Amino acid sequence: MKKLLLTILLASPTLLFAQGSQVNTQGIKALGMAGAGSALFVDETSIFYNPGVFVNMKGNAISAGATAVMYRSAFREQGSFEQYNTKFKISPPFSVFATFGPKDTWWKAGIGIYTPYGGSVDWGTEWPGKYELNHLSMRAIYIQPSLSFKLTDNFSFGGGFVYNVGSVDLGRSIPVFDSNGQAGAAKLTGVGTGTGYNVGIYYHLEDAIAISLSYRSKVNTKVTDGDAEFTVPSALAASFPKTNFSAELPLPSSFNVGVAIPLSSQVDLAVDGTFINYDIYKSLTFNYKHNTDDIIGDDPLEDTYQDKKYLNAFSGKVGVNYKPSTTLQLRAGAGYVVTPVRAEYVYAETPDNNRVMASLGFTYALSSKLDLNGAYTFQRILQRTVTNTVTGLNGTFKTNIHAPGISLTYKW
Amino acid sequence: MKLFNNNIKVYAAVAAISLVAACKPSIEIDEPKVTTQQVDFSKYIAVGNSLTAGYADGGLYLEGQVNSFPNMIADKMKRFGGGEFITPYFSESQHNGSGYLRLTALVNGQPVLEPVTTALAIRGFYNNNPEKPLYTKFTGTAINNLGVPGMRLDMSEMPGLGTVAGNPYFERLLPDNASPLTTYQSYASNQNHTFFSFGLGNNDVLGYALNGAAPTLDPTKALISEATFTEKYTNFINALTANQQKGVVSTIPDVTAIPYLTTVTNQALLAAATAAAGMPISAIFIETKSGTRPATDKDLFVLPFSSSGLLGKPNALGYPYGLDPRNPVEDKFVLDANEVIEVQNRVIALNKVIITIAASKNLAVADVYSFFNKVKTGYNYNGIAISNKFITGNAFSLDGVHLTPMGYAIMANIFIDGINSKYGTNLEKVDATLYHGVLLP
Repeated sequence: MKKLLLTILLASPTLLFAQGSQVNTQGIKALGMAGAGSALFVDETSIFYNPGVFVNMKGNAISAGATAVMYRSAFREQGSFEQYNTKFKISPPFSVFATFGPKDTWWKAGIGIYTPYGGSVDWGTEWPGKYELNHLSMRAIYIQPSLSFKLTDNFSFGGGFVYNVGSVDLGRSIPVFDSNGQAGAAKLTGVGTGTGYNVGIYYHLEDAIAISLSYRSKVNTKVTDGDAEFTVPSALAASFPKTNFSAELPLPSSFNVGVAIPLSSQVDLAVDGTFINYDIYKSLTFNYKHNTDDIIGDDPLEDTYQDKKYLNAFSGKVGVNYKPSTTLQLRAGAGYVVTPVRAEYVYAETPDNNRVMASLGFTYALSSKLDLNGAYTFQRILQRTVTNTVTGLNGTFKTNIHAPGISLTYKW
Repeated sequence: MKLFNNNIKVYAAVAAISLVAACKPSIEIDEPKVTTQQVDFSKYIAVGNSLTAGYADGGLYLEGQVNSFPNMIADKMKRFGGGEFITPYFSESQHNGSGYLRLTALVNGQPVLEPVTTALAIRGFYNNNPEKPLYTKFTGTAINNLGVPGMRLDMSEMPGLGTVAGNPYFERLLPDNASPLTTYQSYASNQNHTFFSFGLGNNDVLGYALNGAAPTLDPTKALISEATFTEKYTNFINALTANQQKGVVSTIPDVTAIPYLTTVTNQALLAAATAAAGMPISAIFIETKSGTRPATDKDLFVLPFSSSGLLGKPNALGYPYGLDPRNPVEDKFVLDANEVIEVQNRVIALNKVIITIAASKNLAVADVYSFFNKVKTGYNYNGIAISNKFITGNAFSLDGVHLTPMGYAIMANIFIDGINSKYGTNLEKVDATLYHGVLLP
């Protein structure tokens, strides 16, 4: 049973952290430009995009935002007339950013609490890939205190410390059958923590150009005492004890370059490019505290190791911001993400491929102190026909993501 | 404007709901392109042996019949003009048919098997011989699944096989007034079929291998010659294609790679004997055609040997069975290294015959031989490890020879692949994850 129960590792939560449902919704303004704007928006959300920027804010601000990420994937096995969809779910990433410090000086402090990635995919227990995955939901909350410093009027830098709390809930069918022919099931739940940092520098010439360079470190989330529970025929109960598992889920480092250029007094253009060092993600290992062996000459529950073999990834985003009046800004953007996932390592948890995205957004000043921001993004993970080299699942995946978001900013 | 203000909550709610509804991602992945079809699936018949019939766990019973691979193929043909497919099911009240083996417990990690003896379809015994059960006859006339467990190619032209003295699974298909001279070939080829699958030939090798290639007068345990095979195969295919019908024929698997012969190994027996004796046992002695010798890892023991309780049992002279060269493991329990090669080579030769005949008649080939080799190596199907391991390999049922419903579903796909690639049809693959492997208590 060694191999047939290779089980748990096959679905790695990391992917979902990393790609798949990944929609960068931390700043609703940037969301309205498909993620561009790290060099354009000088506000509290810069804590996330580039902590070297927010020292340039005129005052202080606090904002809270939420997004409804609606994510749906579909699968059609090769040559099949049947299509399977993930259940419709809305995952609600949120973010809170606040800045503190005296006005018009050389430093500012800030804190961001945000959900960088995370989401939920549920294929159910009745689809051809059920032995790869039933469902996976991930939550990660990043807490990032930050400092931002101004060296000259044109040049600033900053950094933040990232503390991450993540949770995972994963279920899959396992091919052992009770007397009714019902397949077994595995359920893994766990909470992990990790740390990292975020640094950036910012250069701007008033009414000419702004450049943002930022670097997010790798964040290694360690799950040490996850719970593993199995539903199996009673004859195998002793071989599948309730046990604990540990695993390390690395989130890759990334380097972002953003440029903002005013096209006219009312229109700004922003371009961002991000290099993501995904090739550190080579494999995933799950260690079970309690391993069992020798049932019918096989080992039911063993530590598992699985190849991922990610490539480096890149995303490019471009957006425009238009200010028709002092109280209203309108924006639009588009982007493209090159997937880090090789075709033969595409798993159902994140049926990834290159992705196109388009966004619209606005900011409306309700008063001199209160801004309402809204955005809507549509993303499509392009159709991809794959044969997974590990599980053998062979078919076509396609994913659409819709995500409306809203935030309120209070400035003082 | 006032009206608008009064209703603003309603407008907002409507807007929010329609936004969410519009956002609910709907996706369409294009269906496979369907090409114009050259094949008439309106009456498909399945000709073959136990594998065709859906035999599993050492018996033929209703669940196995329902999960036969021809049933699955016929289901996929429906989209492309396939007609009704009638399987000679056992009735609900006799759903356990011939009886079969069930796994009742795991003791120290080892399976305990028990025969199912209720709800059988046994109507009597030929000559009151308990080894020769007769089964409740199927009452329908038109039958599409003509699979007969135990049927051999070299018996396909043998009159009398459909009588109570012959093959009981064939006998139960025939009407009471059938001529005792009815042969399986004449019966199968007179069904007015438009398409057929043909899977005879395994038993002509398997029967020999499962008996350890021991000398015997039993014709069901003989090894077919290439000449006889060619003659009978040609005759049968000629009969089935008399009206230029299309069909699919299957190659013969390497029968030495099935759990029946791969589970009980020399190493396992040595370990068991050592444990039982409380001292190191270094050799298991086997009887071969060229004399008695110690077994090697290339000699294959049959599955029932492990539960026979014979190993180490002293004979009248006090020599422990299999552990003393003067009381070796009998030939019928061992397919020795030379016999393994003999069987493997014969299978290869017979498959060449099959492929040649299929090509001459423009028939599709289901490469079951390659598929079983793949199972022997082990591979992953949609996250399920498929191998020839007994019980845990998911493909083979508890008799170590026949398949599980999941195994049959994957086998159906081998046929579907063969049909699609030969005739350019678009038969959908069977989703084998809908079917189970070995059932555990």
